[in-house]
Amino acid sequence: MRRITEVFGGRRNLLFSGLLLALLFILLLDLFFVHHIFSPFVYFYLCFALVIVFYGIYPLYVSRRLTRYYWDRTKRHHLAVIGLVFIIFLVAVAIFGPFLTQDPTKVDFPNKNLPPVGFSAEQSTYDRTTGQFITRETPGTWLHPLGTDDKGRDMLAMLVSGTRISLQVGLMATLIAIFIGLIMGVVSAYLGGWADNALMRFTDIMMTFPFFLLLVFIVFIFGPSLWFIILAIGLTGWTGTARLVRSESLSLRTRDFIMASKSLGASDRRIVFHHLIPNVLSSVIVIATLSIPGVILAEAALSFIGLGDPTVTSWGLVLQAGQRSLETAWWIAVEPGIMLFLTVLAFNFLGDGVRDAFDPRSQV
Amino acid sequence: MERKLLEVDNLKKHYPVTAGLFARHVADVKAVDGVSFFITEGETLGLVGESGCGKSSLGRTLLRLEEPTSGQVFYKGRDITAWNKKQLKELRREAQMIFQDPQSSLDPKATIGDSIGEALLIHGVTSEKERLARVEALLQRVGLEPGHATRYPHELSGGQKQRIGIARALAVNPKLIVADEPVSALDVSVQAQILNLMLDLQGELSLAYLFIAHDLAVIGQVSSRIAVMYLGQIVELADRDGLFQRPLHPYTQALLSAVFLPDPHRKRQHIPLAGEVPSPIAPPSGCRFHTRCPRVMKVCRQETPIFQPIDKDHLVACHLYDGK
Repeated sequence: MRRITEVFGGRRNLLFSGLLLALLFILLLDLFFVHHIFSPFVYFYLCFALVIVFYGIYPLYVSRRLTRYYWDRTKRHHLAVIGLVFIIFLVAVAIFGPFLTQDPTKVDFPNKNLPPVGFSAEQSTYDRTTGQFITRETPGTWLHPLGTDDKGRDMLAMLVSGTRISLQVGLMATLIAIFIGLIMGVVSAYLGGWADNALMRFTDIMMTFPFFLLLVFIVFIFGPSLWFIILAIGLTGWTGTARLVRSESLSLRTRDFIMASKSLGASDRRIVFHHLIPNVLSSVIVIATLSIPGVILAEAALSFIGLGDPTVTSWGLVLQAGQRSLETAWWIAVEPGIMLFLTVLAFNFLGDGVRDAFDPRSQV
Repeated sequence: MERKLLEVDNLKKHYPVTAGLFARHVADVKAVDGVSFFITEGETLGLVGESGCGKSSLGRTLLRLEEPTSGQVFYKGRDITAWNKKQLKELRREAQMIFQDPQSSLDPKATIGDSIGEALLIHGVTSEKERLARVEALLQRVGLEPGHATRYPHELSGGQKQRIGIARALAVNPKLIVADEPVSALDVSVQAQILNLMLDLQGELSLAYLFIAHDLAVIGQVSSRIAVMYLGQIVELADRDGLFQRPLHPYTQALLSAVFLPDPHRKRQHIPLAGEVPSPIAPPSGCRFHTRCPRVMKVCRQETPIFQPIDKDHLVACHLYDGK
């Protein structure tokens, strides 16, 4: 038993791998025998949750002292704390919001173009009895606190749905990207020589690859699906992380504590998993936080130009719909715009705070 | 006759210098270039030299933390330069290292307990309880509190971190410790504390030290014998009193003249050294010190001096003493 634990590098990895395999097993069972109790995406979410719990929350809990230390340093940035609070709010909205709001796809033409509460707008409606257009001042109602769009869909419901989509894309694509980047970087730094050269030149090629074109291509072949977009962003977005991790690993390898570990007789694997990766991780967390807004914007941009997944209500899609009626119903475009703006700002603030907290050069 | 714990024979460590697209090998940095000495059980050999003379490389190479280019290292009579990974692990229990910079010698993401306990874990102490007990005992041994085990390096001072570095080295019960400038990064008052701790431990555990430093005053305080290194080679090796009272090599004389000793009766005559340390890529011909030697002779430029005994236990590599 101890031997197995050692191969996996500790009890935590063993348990994680076990749960992951169990999940895969249930997924296969579901796909081929019981026939779709849950959609495959539910399993994907569960995988994602497992990663977060085992490699995000658990280590934070185990090294409470260190967590408290970094939190104290992050806290000095008031904007970072505001950003974090807003992000926590967004996550709560993304998880619970859709259960509380109306159906974001429900079309209700009589109630189209309603303004948000506290505003009023002129609306022309066609009166069947007289056969004339009547222009009327319509105030916002509490039934649709943020108004409705040109098809009468509830704006609040659409924004809440968009929050879920944006966070999904942002977090998952970033997680995929930093995972690949971390592996590429560490392997490259540790192997050195021609392997390092080959991996880094491959990274260079990936960097020159026009990501947007690739996306258009994927959408063209496979059709627009949120999952392909997540995968495409994840599979192309790791290059920066790989370079950063490689250079960090190279500089860490010359540090005395790695040499000390070696002189104690630690194996290469031990040094990589217990010293190299934990120390590289702080930079990776920073780069991840700062790259999430970019991914969210990319997804919004894709939806805006009509390459997004038309079956999900994302901010970009609403933004694009609102653009057509900017003169008569400004709120349709402005509201998702504000959400995007605030979200991107929140992640950037948090990223700055985390960077200052983790910066090894400012550690005394 | 005391037993030789470690013996180094003509050890060389050359770092290749490469250039161009295909990493063409163009030259070597001769960091350690033919060094021979020995350390007996429980003694301290001081190794002194300017920065860049190869003393740290020597320390690392003889523990096989870096692979030697040529030469042999015997530990308890066995040649460790040919040892494989498994045999090396055995060496790691016997020979340890203390590092110069306490700031970078501890993993900032690991607790003190984990850093010290790692040694125990690697060498088979798998029970967490036993590890903690041993770590706490080690912490007390180096003058810290058992409670420090749960702390992180950023919560400690430089002196405390260096004590932890020592505790980590002691965790495997070694016989030899290579101390690579263990006090150069510390305040003078803390320096004295750490040196005293190291001396105490030596007395208790009969440790042998290879004490690397650039400060002759510090070296003189702890060493029984002293080796002086210049540009990858040892130029003089003697017991402490012999070296301090009768330095033979002009380089040693110059180094000693720069040492500040609190003795009002001692006449200070400063021997200035001209110029810079030459490049270890292309060291000077003949005696490597001839470019800066105040007593340079014609023969120095052509012939490499032999490292030979002048007295019992006093070796020097200098043409001034040829035929004496």
